[in-house]
Amino acid sequence: MNRSKLLVALAALTLVFAACTDDGGGDTTTTGVDGGGGAEEGGTLAAVQDRGELNCGVNDVLPGFGIVDEEGNYSGFDVDLCRAIAAAVLGDADAVNYVPVNVETRFTALQSGEIDVLSRNTTATATRDGQEGLTFVFTTFYDGQGIMVPASSGFTVFEDLQDANFCVLTGTTTELNLNAVFSDRGISFNPVGFEDSAELQQAYEAGQCEAWTSDRSQLASFKFSIEEAGGEAQFIMEEIMSKEPLGPAVLDGDSEWLQVVNWTIQNLVLAWEFGLTSENIGSYSGEESRVLNFIGDGGYDPGLGLATDVNVTVIEAVGNYQEIYERHIEPLGIPLAGSLNDLWTNGGLMYAQPY
Amino acid sequence: MTATAERAPAPPKLSPLGWLRKRLFQNVGSAVLSVTLIVILLYVVYRSLVFVVINGQWEAISRNLTLFMVGTFPRDQVWRLAAQALMLGLAFGIGVGTASGTARDKAKQAGLAYEPPLLAGTLKRFWSLIAFVLVLLTLAGTAGPWLVVGGAVLVGYIGWHSWRLPPSMRTLGWLLTALLFLAGFQVVSGTEGLAWLPVALVLAAASRLLVPVERLETPLRQLVSLGAPLVAAGVVYGIYQVIAAPGVGWDDWSGMILTLWWSAIVIVLAFPTGLMLALARRSTLPALRYLATTYIELIRGVPLITLLFMGQFMLGFMLPAGTVFSSITRSIAAGTLFTAAYVAEIVRGGLQSLPPGQMEAGQALGMGIPAIMRRIVLPQALRAVIPAMVGQFISLFKDSSLLFIIGATEFLGVRDLVHAQADFRVSAHAETLVFVAVGYWAIAFSMSRESQRLERRLGVGET
Amino acid sequence: MVTTTTSKTHSRPPFWRDLRVLRVVGQFVAIILVGLVLWWLFTNLVDNLNRAGIRTDFGFLTQPTQFTVPYFNTFNARNPVWQMVLVGVKNTFLAGSVGIIIASVLGLVVGILRLSNNWLAARLATVFVEFFRNIPPLVVIVFFGSAVFTFGPLPILSEALELRLPGSSDTFLLLSNDRWGIPGFTSRGNVPAYLGILVVGLVISVLLWIWRTRVNLSTGEPHHRVLWSLGALLAFAGLGYLVLGGPFGVEWPSLSENRRLIVSGFAMNWGFMALTGALGLYTASHIAEIVRGSIQAVPKGQTEASSALALSAFQRYRFVVLPQALRIAVPPVINQYLNLVKNTSLGLAVAYAELTALTQTSIANGRPAVQSIVVMMAIYLAFSLTISLALNVVNRRLQLVTR
Repeated sequence: MNRSKLLVALAALTLVFAACTDDGGGDTTTTGVDGGGGAEEGGTLAAVQDRGELNCGVNDVLPGFGIVDEEGNYSGFDVDLCRAIAAAVLGDADAVNYVPVNVETRFTALQSGEIDVLSRNTTATATRDGQEGLTFVFTTFYDGQGIMVPASSGFTVFEDLQDANFCVLTGTTTELNLNAVFSDRGISFNPVGFEDSAELQQAYEAGQCEAWTSDRSQLASFKFSIEEAGGEAQFIMEEIMSKEPLGPAVLDGDSEWLQVVNWTIQNLVLAWEFGLTSENIGSYSGEESRVLNFIGDGGYDPGLGLATDVNVTVIEAVGNYQEIYERHIEPLGIPLAGSLNDLWTNGGLMYAQPY
Repeated sequence: MTATAERAPAPPKLSPLGWLRKRLFQNVGSAVLSVTLIVILLYVVYRSLVFVVINGQWEAISRNLTLFMVGTFPRDQVWRLAAQALMLGLAFGIGVGTASGTARDKAKQAGLAYEPPLLAGTLKRFWSLIAFVLVLLTLAGTAGPWLVVGGAVLVGYIGWHSWRLPPSMRTLGWLLTALLFLAGFQVVSGTEGLAWLPVALVLAAASRLLVPVERLETPLRQLVSLGAPLVAAGVVYGIYQVIAAPGVGWDDWSGMILTLWWSAIVIVLAFPTGLMLALARRSTLPALRYLATTYIELIRGVPLITLLFMGQFMLGFMLPAGTVFSSITRSIAAGTLFTAAYVAEIVRGGLQSLPPGQMEAGQALGMGIPAIMRRIVLPQALRAVIPAMVGQFISLFKDSSLLFIIGATEFLGVRDLVHAQADFRVSAHAETLVFVAVGYWAIAFSMSRESQRLERRLGVGET
Repeated sequence: MVTTTTSKTHSRPPFWRDLRVLRVVGQFVAIILVGLVLWWLFTNLVDNLNRAGIRTDFGFLTQPTQFTVPYFNTFNARNPVWQMVLVGVKNTFLAGSVGIIIASVLGLVVGILRLSNNWLAARLATVFVEFFRNIPPLVVIVFFGSAVFTFGPLPILSEALELRLPGSSDTFLLLSNDRWGIPGFTSRGNVPAYLGILVVGLVISVLLWIWRTRVNLSTGEPHHRVLWSLGALLAFAGLGYLVLGGPFGVEWPSLSENRRLIVSGFAMNWGFMALTGALGLYTASHIAEIVRGSIQAVPKGQTEASSALALSAFQRYRFVVLPQALRIAVPPVINQYLNLVKNTSLGLAVAYAELTALTQTSIANGRPAVQSIVVMMAIYLAFSLTISLALNVVNRRLQLVTR
């Protein structure tokens, strides 16, 4: 009796082992998020192409940069950057898995390999580069921090806001800059930190805080929507408190992936410089050698690991930098012409490296 | 339930004025209280009506209803959710029917008459849930949701008739409920990866219970009792390898379905863990007892949000490099760790409520500890803790609102998505908050009424 | 002839079947397994953190915080992180204590009202309980914050409502949608001496209580112990105040010149009030259920006997029902207090800087997440264990000694 038990047990064990060999590994019901993301050395490009989908960390509550519409579709400036990278690497701008991240989880998502690239209006600072183990790619939006007050208050300079309440979003460079600037000038203040913009906006409109400090692009977009809905007129102060260069970020240690992302983004600006748009890039008939190289004519390949006509694919799918900006940011009331984000030939700061 | 005691004489019927005198204005203090409360009540009702009917901008809800319910679920895969609703309706119907059937069997054994609950009574019990669903359907405007809900109710009603089946089919009824529940989950999440495992476990357990082992000779009996579950598991595994179909994994779920499923998955995973912890805590081996007690006291001393943070920030680093868990998976792990401690306390209470004579009787009959647990102690103890487990599920359902702090968009978090849209950036904040509050309230209220009713029925604890 | 029995009657089974050996070995194996798993997790954690270039020590506690804490003027951004943690602890403690007081009082009242003869009061109490019990605490907190303060009827701080006592020019209460000002105490010197006198008075009043109880037990005369000990305490407080020449005074709240700060009295910010009010209401609904259940668990005969003895309703509750009900109610109420303290971790929703909110902010600003979370969890654990311990002592005093 004991022997037969033992025999049956052995047979069972062998069956179980045989069954378990061909396991898919990884997680049960996730849509193919496989291991080997950013935590290892290199290999992100191959992993993304294997998976067939780009995991992109985005914002889902910031008008203009990343929002979700009624149908659950993501759209925005940073979202279009994700689409550009997907078009470059996978040939399909829609092959993106958008992962909404908030201020606390954005860096851990990148560090743990949950996302391949973070495109969430993140300011590039040395501290983040060093302490969070990230590398920032090309700056896609030059912004600055400003202060908005109701126009009726009549405040125009920072000193008018001594001891006042400031509405801030916690966990962003906003808080740190506010402290730095105001402490240096010896102005005392009271920062009321909120977690999400909806509550912050309510508190601001109710008068619980007298001033709202954030990136000027965000202030402009909220000024626009408040005034549009018939609210009080708003005034954004002239003085800029800090530099806020926003751009995508990738994890340290994968220079191949870094170059792919960096150049995909820069090529959006280059296309703008060359005057190539989503409409005319497919039918370019000129003779300029730099443009021909850019569109991969004659098999020109800079050796980044992408297809030779990658720029045509990307620009046709997403448009050049100007088109993306005009699609998402200009409706917020921030014109491109004359701003810091204008092309260098027009006096702005957008200066892409040559192809 | 139907035995009538000697009835006390009915209290005298009061005229309306007499009722007012007795109930509201019995003495000066009571009169003052009544007047104050009436004034406040009238004011509150008036303001609420004005808000709901006249001033309210309910467009924010009606346009974003799908967003509230399913979040950013790919709209071309919504058919999966419809199929899930139908399967879950059937599973629920068969489950309730089997439970009623078991009650009927017991009544028959005791010689009492059994009356299945009336439809009107059921509707009255779930009025808040039904009202909420009707409001949603009215706001939805299209015919699709009506069809799905109607279909689920119809299918559930058909399944409920399983109470008429003979007693030998009860185990089959439970098996069908479990399988349909899993099928409802997998029709959305796909059948790849480890999806075969829960189904294999259920079928293995069921084969153990269903195959008539007692009729076989001893060597064959042991072979079959060990082999049948393995064969069942193997067959399931094989089938799943063949029909490996992708789906929409739980990383892409958001809105109300994430809230409901997160709570369900966590409670299902936490139940066996909590059970083992409770047994360890009551064990006679001091090492096990101390380990279990330390774990339970540690977990019960910290808020859930700290555990969610721990899951978010620490869990990824605690596993070897290269394993990637999504945010939702980490939150499920953290939630399971949290709930297991509470479930362990609940089960321990149930085990303690059992008279020690039961255990002693089992030992007197020469049964080993595993057999005593399986056949005597656990069935009674677990039945006694069902109301408390429902209470824990309600608590989990409410705590799922914390998920938005770690970045997952569940029912409360969809508010932020709605208010980032251009049309609702500066308006409708109160309406969305009221809608979310009512949604949570309707579901939790129904469940808590059911749990109270179960508690009365099972005659568990007075407090 | 006596046959010597061999050791066969006391033979031990082979060690792999000997239950005593198996028990010990099993426990060792369990402990080793758990230890191995924990050690594996820990080394993975340290390795992965090192690989990602993130610090693994607790040195971040001495670094400057770099952000200021709202509504707390004296906190400088240069203060080290451990001071920020202390501020968080203080705020959590404040919110927890006030919340517990509100919840207990309100819960007791509503619980008793549910059993009232007044139909309207009973029904409204039921509605209150069923409404708040079934909504997530986070929703209640956000609701309270918006409804009472953000969209509520109160004016902004610079136009705050100043309530004055009739006939005086001092503001008794300052109301706004951002901060409330209530009267506070200022010290005019000699406060430590006064506190010393109070301590002496407290000790004497406790001694009086014990003495009077003993007198009552031995001779049966009414003890009046509350009168004696409270009277002694008040006498000491009053005499000490007079002797020291008024060591503290009342300070009325007032706005600063630029009407942005409350510079005297005691200021409470709206985050604190929303959090404690909301949690007070939420927990009160649970406590009301517990109180109701425990009152109903007191045998009906007690109520009938007190009616037969012609006790008024108040006397019935005070001397018969509540003492017995309290015994049953204490363990679940302890649980609710713990839940309240744990629920204060949702303070960030109303911009209240308690421990979790400050930890979240510091993590998002680059402090090492793992260590910050460990510190935060350790502090919450300390809170919970203290509350459970203190109230378990109370519980044990209340338990009936069974024969």
